[in-house]
Amino acid sequence: MKFSATIKALGLTAAVALAPMTASGAQAAGTLTTAVAIDPGSWDPIDTFLVDWSSAANNIFDGLTARGADMKLKPGLATSWEFLDNNSRIRFKLRQNVKFHNGEPFNAEAVKFTFDRLLGEEGRKGPQQSNYNSIDHVEVVDDSTVDFVMKQPDPVLLTKLAGYGGMIVPPKYIQEKGDAYFNMNPVGTGPFKFAEYTPKVSLTLEAFPEHWGGAPKLDKVVTRFISEANTQVAELQAGRIDVATLIPFGLAPTVEKSPNLSLISITGPTVVALRLNTKEGITKDVNVRKALIMGIDRDAIIKAVLLGHAKPIASFQSDLSFGYDPSMKPLPFDLAKAKQMLQQAKVPAGAPVRIDFRGNDATFREVAQAAAGFLQALGLKPSLQPHEPPVLLNDIIPNGKTGEAWHNAWGGWTFDYDNTAYLMYHSGEKWNPYDNDPKLNALLEKQRTMYDVKEREKVLQEIARYVADQALEIPLYNQNTLYGVNKRVKNFDAPSDRRFRFTETTVE
Amino acid sequence: MAGFILKRLLQAVFVVLAVTLIVSFAIRLSGDPAIMLMGGGNVTEQDLQNIRQALGLERPFFVQYLDFLEGMITGDFGKSFMGGTPVSMLIANALPATLLLAFTSLIVSIVLSVPLGVYAAVNRGRWPDQMIRILSLVGLSFPNFWLAIMMVLLFSIVLGLLPPSGMEGPESFVMPALTMAIILTATNVRLVRTSMLETLSQQYIMVARSKGLRDRVVLYKHALRNSAIPLVTYIGLQFGGLIGGIVIIERVFNWPGMGTLAFDAISNRDYPVLQGTITVLALFIVLINLLVDIAYGLIDPRIRTE
Repeated sequence: MKFSATIKALGLTAAVALAPMTASGAQAAGTLTTAVAIDPGSWDPIDTFLVDWSSAANNIFDGLTARGADMKLKPGLATSWEFLDNNSRIRFKLRQNVKFHNGEPFNAEAVKFTFDRLLGEEGRKGPQQSNYNSIDHVEVVDDSTVDFVMKQPDPVLLTKLAGYGGMIVPPKYIQEKGDAYFNMNPVGTGPFKFAEYTPKVSLTLEAFPEHWGGAPKLDKVVTRFISEANTQVAELQAGRIDVATLIPFGLAPTVEKSPNLSLISITGPTVVALRLNTKEGITKDVNVRKALIMGIDRDAIIKAVLLGHAKPIASFQSDLSFGYDPSMKPLPFDLAKAKQMLQQAKVPAGAPVRIDFRGNDATFREVAQAAAGFLQALGLKPSLQPHEPPVLLNDIIPNGKTGEAWHNAWGGWTFDYDNTAYLMYHSGEKWNPYDNDPKLNALLEKQRTMYDVKEREKVLQEIARYVADQALEIPLYNQNTLYGVNKRVKNFDAPSDRRFRFTETTVE
Repeated sequence: MAGFILKRLLQAVFVVLAVTLIVSFAIRLSGDPAIMLMGGGNVTEQDLQNIRQALGLERPFFVQYLDFLEGMITGDFGKSFMGGTPVSMLIANALPATLLLAFTSLIVSIVLSVPLGVYAAVNRGRWPDQMIRILSLVGLSFPNFWLAIMMVLLFSIVLGLLPPSGMEGPESFVMPALTMAIILTATNVRLVRTSMLETLSQQYIMVARSKGLRDRVVLYKHALRNSAIPLVTYIGLQFGGLIGGIVIIERVFNWPGMGTLAFDAISNRDYPVLQGTITVLALFIVLINLLVDIAYGLIDPRIRTE
């Protein structure tokens, strides 16, 4: 390379000393490289809630249940399950002849150990325990059967067992090596095994040919940590990463236009709304709230700001979420009608509408500006108030100090409307500073005790309709998940929640 | 000299104490790390309590701070809130990366700015001087991140010559070091030029010239040595700013150094990592300034005897 002479001339030879730190360099055949924003710092399933953890670690570990890229629940390390004793006990039949990467056998003891650890002392220190508090304890029935004894019903539990804290860990390995060692040298039963981890730089996994689901088709999966979106896109364009997970909407056309890349834009878990202050201000009146919804052209915002990579929503959930009702339609954009409704509600011209939002969200800043434009056209006086996210999330919202409207973006990895609705609308919840509606509370509580899937879905849909009827928020859009993918990648089953599983993927 | 160094060392201890105290206090005003760690999910107050207890956050601020100081003396900066990696290990990985980048940039900048500055001074008022001054103004006006992005666009995307990010060998150094060096050179060139002009007007230069010494000897042996003092001082002072600038450069180039570490620690409210990185950086800047003072003495014997 002709540059090498220049480099030496510049006195950069000292850098050669760092050559052993090389993460991937040129890609060997059979190596797939991805990039995520954050290094979770620990690979122990009970230590984190970060999606970026799952993007990598979903390849190392298996849960009792699993979820495909289509988000459908399927058997994982458990082959079947049944509800016993009036739903207070769930019996799992376990897959046989499964081994951990270190050769340790997977069995009922491993499941018990995993959940004793998660629900005990060690789990208390991490953020995952609270997701599994509905479990009282796990009992071993025989080597390939376990019972989950429930403290309270949890209709979302099977979904939760497919990820994060519910991932099964090896008892002997952890007891011998300790938790700190396990953090940095994880062992699971998944299709790829841990090879190398350089904090803040990269994680390398190798194929585990003895995986119960068959050997993966790649030799290696490298996950690099790159927090700047522009840098991820540059690395993607330079052909040094195969899958980029951080594509801002504004850079989507750049990826689309690159001849060696393809842009994948699919429905994602994230929904965005402007929640409304139902206690004070002009938004106290339900008709005013409806007028605001009708006065903002959400389709125009999706087209102009999100470049079409989003869908309008009628309730605060995506169509992937359990509880979604396809028959529900958002209130239509109708400026004249909205103006008339404001007049009927005797809202004075120039009444203030303040929008509080997360100041670090560049996309939403543009969305808020567009929304403010529409509110101005209604004869109102909108203002935008950006905040530091921790301040907004820990002080302004929970203490009810917002203006008339506030920005709420919500993911929800369980794809179950309960995970959103309960936290958003039940009285006393952190995300609900304003409403105290006994009818809504009762509905929210009721669905949590139901195991009949169809019945529960009906209640969730009823909740969504009730919330829409009360116009507690201006539903804006369901954001797409964007991936930039190198065209040499084949059979990439793009998951909408970024929790990759590269079992079938190949590279040319 | 020994007394002088001792005095400076005591000052250094004071500076590091002050910096860590301010950082520890300020970051605790900025948000609850327990909430950052739990995410938005099904979190109860009890869960938050558990996390705070596990992280030792429920103890009074000064107890936490004293604990941190105690650890610092033994080189133990605690564990990252994100996953529990020891902070000393993170710093041990990141510090060499940052220092290597900082020193490379400094060296490149000196290699560029000294000859350019001397050349401009010698040709004072003529077109090479004008040109160098205009270029330095252009260099000063560039925001460094913009320059970085443009370089990536040109050298990585269009020409495909250099890796856009990461630290994977000599090629990785070219763009980040050059970006920093261009910014530094822009100021250093002006400094060398002014200092050189001042020296060239001194009597002893005229004496040297009238003795019939060759131009090259006069310039590089007599004049440059004397103009080096302000340059060395300035580079010492520049080091703090250099580290600050590197935070941005490291982010753009995803350089696995102290800047990236500090940046992530701020966004994650990771107190131990932030305290650790800032402390080490502060120690370093203090150390560099100490070295600058010693370098004075080596360049100019008059200072040694004072």
